[in-house]
Amino acid sequence: MDVNVARLAKDLAKIVGKKHVFTDRPTSIVYAKDVMPWDVEEKNVPYAVVRPSNSQEISKVLQYANEKLIPVHVHGSGTSLVGLARPKTRCILLDTARMKEIRVYPERSYFEAGPGAHLAEVRKLLTRHKAMLPVFPGSELVATIGGTIAVNTSAHGVDAALGKPGDYVLGLEVVLPTGEIISTGTESTRRAAGIDPTKFFIGSEGLLGVLTLIRMRLIPLPHFEHIVAYYKSTDDILDTVMEMYRQGIFPPLFFEFLDERAARVGYEAVGLEEPLGAVAMMRVHSWSKVGSEERAGDFIEFMKVGNPIEAKIVKDMEEWDKIWSSRAEAGNYMYRLGTTFGSEVTPRVDKLKDAYHEAKSVILNLESYKNPEFVSFGHIGAPTIHAYAFIPTKDIPNEVKKAITLEVREKTEELNIKYGGCGGEWGLTAQRVSFLKKRYEEGLYEVLLKLKRAIDPNDILNRGNLQGWT
Amino acid sequence: MDINETKAIRSTLLEEAGKCRACRFCIDVCPVYQATEWVESMSPYGRLQILKYLINGTLDEDDPLIYSLYTCLQCGRCDLLCRAKGQNLEVSNLIRMGKYLLSQGLVKGKKSEKV
Repeated sequence: MDVNVARLAKDLAKIVGKKHVFTDRPTSIVYAKDVMPWDVEEKNVPYAVVRPSNSQEISKVLQYANEKLIPVHVHGSGTSLVGLARPKTRCILLDTARMKEIRVYPERSYFEAGPGAHLAEVRKLLTRHKAMLPVFPGSELVATIGGTIAVNTSAHGVDAALGKPGDYVLGLEVVLPTGEIISTGTESTRRAAGIDPTKFFIGSEGLLGVLTLIRMRLIPLPHFEHIVAYYKSTDDILDTVMEMYRQGIFPPLFFEFLDERAARVGYEAVGLEEPLGAVAMMRVHSWSKVGSEERAGDFIEFMKVGNPIEAKIVKDMEEWDKIWSSRAEAGNYMYRLGTTFGSEVTPRVDKLKDAYHEAKSVILNLESYKNPEFVSFGHIGAPTIHAYAFIPTKDIPNEVKKAITLEVREKTEELNIKYGGCGGEWGLTAQRVSFLKKRYEEGLYEVLLKLKRAIDPNDILNRGNLQGWT
Repeated sequence: MDINETKAIRSTLLEEAGKCRACRFCIDVCPVYQATEWVESMSPYGRLQILKYLINGTLDEDDPLIYSLYTCLQCGRCDLLCRAKGQNLEVSNLIRMGKYLLSQGLVKGKKSEKV
């Protein structure tokens, strides 16, 4: 595509103001980079970064992009772990950072937020109103609410305990790829039965529109109790999760774990004594203090099925902060020792243990890199298996990083198919396309393509994500 | 500074900036990022990436690049955040080293590297 960048900059400046258009290479590269382990390539670098302040400006940018047939890539904070945030083609990168207003309406029992609001800021404000934000990604500090609802990720939250963030969305304002601005949903806490277009856009990953306002129900802030449990091995934790679902025990809000390797690294990093085996951590919630204490006590009693070395409620918040940091920052603690290649398997709950061991075997027997180490940590109670290949060096050529990433993806896709998983929460379209085709055959993928063409006939928004990265 | 010392600084910078995972956790604590209405190339994360791509020859030394690096206030908030979030990079010191190389004409980016 032949784009006159100087002309583009002038045209975009007419819409958002000169101050909010960047065409310099340093800025473009910084926005294109994401957590994916290999460097950005020329094809990923945007022609321009544009930073609108409202939905009208976004509408004009999209109308312009359709007229000129230039792709537009929507950017929240770029924290996706599997490539959603990296433009697949040269494009106008549309940064939502200036749209971060948050308004809480206690009397209406909802809040509204601009897409660029960081989750930590939203949570801080909601806490003042004694309300809980039902979203718990590790990247909360900078992850945006627009990105979160566009992906519909629960992260630490166990789906069976709280549902998905999208379940709490009452309505949206959306700018369609062709520039029309629409509103969906309700201002009541009563949501529509039947067809509610709000649901089309929740989890649509910026393929069907740009979310410009998110309205979510206020959830009364519950009381929490925290549990840590030490086990001889990860297998005991897997048994506990399977038994929890088999017995129909109400799951904790968080049910996280560190395998033996991650537990050693994490505990050392936060200055705690090295555990003897694997560690599980839970957050239990209830609407009363007595209720949360009772639930925590009951859960500890239940946990005896997994024969923990020790399981206890942690009341000292300083101690809990350290314990939780060993898990919350586990990805960074491992990454600073080398390079990690992650995967996600979300098996049927009764097959968790089989799937875990097969995922481990996949990692240990990679063809693209011999003898990587295996490490695992994450939302095991969800259940999600994050099986990582860990290589204790940063000095790996880009093409090898790519080969490892693709092999891990392909082989763990097979496990998701074998064990009935959906691909999981990292399974964004950018990474999920080949899985979708294998899991559901071409028919379902064709439906997605038709839907995309119907709403975005020029394939303007997030071009390439529905084709997947390779 | 002799050529070996320059090489050593370049090599350290490339290695250390290469450790940045691009998690972006540090951006919000940067006063310049806040003052520029949240432009990522004006954040600690952005500056580290810019340094990496300058030294590996992907970027040229140009005005926007210099502006980004030289607007770092060296307040060190990003260092604390990076440590707290597990990466533990000395971000502000790396930016300071990068500015030093630039000011001494010891790194000039893509075009000059080719020459």
